[in-house]
Amino acid sequence: MKKNGIKMIKIKAKNVDVFYGKKQALYNIGLDIEENQVTALIGPSGCGKSTFLRCLNRMNDVIDICRVKGEILINDFNINDKSCDVVRLREKIGMVFQKPNPFPKTVYENISYGPTIHGMAQSKQEMDEIVETSLKKAALWEEVKDRLHEPGTGLSGGQQQRLCIARAISVRPEVILMDEPCSALDPIATAQIEELIDELKKEHTIIIVTHSMAQAARVSQNTGFFHLGQLIEHGSTDKIFKNPDNTKTQDYITGRFG
Amino acid sequence: MNKNKEQLLNKRYRAERRFRLYGQSAIFMALLFLTIFIFKIFSTGYSAFQKTWLIVPVNFDAEMMMIDQNPSKEDLQDADYYDIALKSMADLDQNANDDQKNQLKRMVSYFFEKEIKNEILNDPSLIGKTKEVYLTASDDLDQVFKGNYPRDLPEDQRRVSDYQLKIFDQLVAKGKVESKFNISFFTYADSREAELAGIASSFMGSIFSILVCLMIAFPVAVLAAIYLEEFAPKNRFTDFIEVNINNLAAVPSIVFGLLGLGVLLAIFHLPRSTPLVGGITLSLMTLPTIIIAARASLKAVPPSIREAALAMGASRMQTTMHHTVPLSMPGTLSGTIIGLAQALGETAPLILIGMVAFVNTIPGSPMDPAASLPVQIYIWAESAERGFVEKVSACIMVLLGFLIIMNLFAQIIRHKFEKKWN
Repeated sequence: MKKNGIKMIKIKAKNVDVFYGKKQALYNIGLDIEENQVTALIGPSGCGKSTFLRCLNRMNDVIDICRVKGEILINDFNINDKSCDVVRLREKIGMVFQKPNPFPKTVYENISYGPTIHGMAQSKQEMDEIVETSLKKAALWEEVKDRLHEPGTGLSGGQQQRLCIARAISVRPEVILMDEPCSALDPIATAQIEELIDELKKEHTIIIVTHSMAQAARVSQNTGFFHLGQLIEHGSTDKIFKNPDNTKTQDYITGRFG
Repeated sequence: MNKNKEQLLNKRYRAERRFRLYGQSAIFMALLFLTIFIFKIFSTGYSAFQKTWLIVPVNFDAEMMMIDQNPSKEDLQDADYYDIALKSMADLDQNANDDQKNQLKRMVSYFFEKEIKNEILNDPSLIGKTKEVYLTASDDLDQVFKGNYPRDLPEDQRRVSDYQLKIFDQLVAKGKVESKFNISFFTYADSREAELAGIASSFMGSIFSILVCLMIAFPVAVLAAIYLEEFAPKNRFTDFIEVNINNLAAVPSIVFGLLGLGVLLAIFHLPRSTPLVGGITLSLMTLPTIIIAARASLKAVPPSIREAALAMGASRMQTTMHHTVPLSMPGTLSGTIIGLAQALGETAPLILIGMVAFVNTIPGSPMDPAASLPVQIYIWAESAERGFVEKVSACIMVLLGFLIIMNLFAQIIRHKFEKKWN
């Protein structure tokens, strides 16, 4: 989104290196991500795009042997700084995973969990509202409004993934990270999620890792192409897909490898 | 070429059939042993649940009891029952000489005086009247009546004399011998007399030991498992701890008994022979079992659930307490129950800390001396009297029943509360 013609940068990654033990997974990544846009990260398997995504909400902290170097500025604040509180960060940066992973609890509890631990609702009524709006934004409300107190794991795969999206937006994050959110879904469910992503970008900045070039082309405004731990090229989706600067990008997009 | 292939195929089928046969025969053998074992125990033990009573007319003569006609409660408590008890037995044979009177007395348990006393405490109006009272038969007559006693042995090799048998047979003919359900087996403590021995003390001892064991082992083991699985860094030191927990699970239980003896009794001077010490000793033994079960069920919680919670901004503590631990609880609980069932059947460590002592009182708390069910089996199996043989098997039946109920409970918990995730 442009304000006065200037692109608003939400996330700025500078010189990011990631190591798993002695093995380096990402080399010197620098990438700007625009506010209220969808940025797609594409590349062959094992190229480091998911690793990079997980740097943005410090999910790599969970992995003992993983080390992250470099600066990642979100709203001009370095999240790799010691003063950064991971809990506050993840409240601001939501995440949707590859495989739908609702908690084995009711639909309602799945949504209310985030707002509960962050103290976002003072009353039952407020919580009900949060649950309803989150489910409505995730285009799931009509399907589950009568079964809010049934287990979330009983929904279909596509519904479960939308439930996870609803769960992510329940705490009104500024950024939503999506790690191949449609890879476990059928084409109809995929179409629903893609539609949803388009809707969500009005209020959230979205970064999506995807294996499907067609999906990247359909949903994103900007694209970054990763290969062997390096960010080969990034820019507007239009340009990457129609007129890439790098021959590797060209090869990948035209299906010559990957 | 084709023929070769067919031969090969047939060979493979034959190998499979052979393998099935091995498996089936293994299962058959296991079932056979189990059946023999259970049959043996039941056939020996079932008679312990019946108890033989002699029905003897007792004349509640106030003068002999050394009380007046309208005694107070205290008078009845303090009255002398021995004489009327003795007389009632002696009256079974009017012509008995002194030696025979003595033999008559020994046809019932030494408890007969008390049984007569209870009768009159329940109904004081009996004074001056005669009533037929149920008296516990001696363990030898009990066995005779149950058909477990070889009557054809020469008299000097028998504990029951010919005279006693004669009187007993007369009573049987008159229908004055009755077999009833043996309630006292469950309500009495241990006794040197087989007819009066019960499992109440050892049963309560086992319950208290298990409770102490549960209260110590469960929280410690669960906390240790959660810390090791969810919080501890994975390095050499934690690997070392893990290996040693597994080693601890393989340590022979008698070693834990020595530890209890050397530390709990010798250094801390905790009361000897009590379920408190027994429970602490057993908890050391159960600890690794529960830790291993709890860690396994924590590991079984899919990482995606942890990631989901962490990505929502839950702290590690919240992730663990809100999601991982509740999901792992069914597995942890059933592991705990299995561990407790093991502890329940443990004998060696309890013998070392003195729970093998003869205890003829029923413990009211873990601080009172008590035996435990397996130790009781051990004590009775060592006793010479014929009456204890069936008691051993009956006690095994109670212990097995207890264990089966616990394991069943573990299964139910596992199935009922196990949540399905994707």
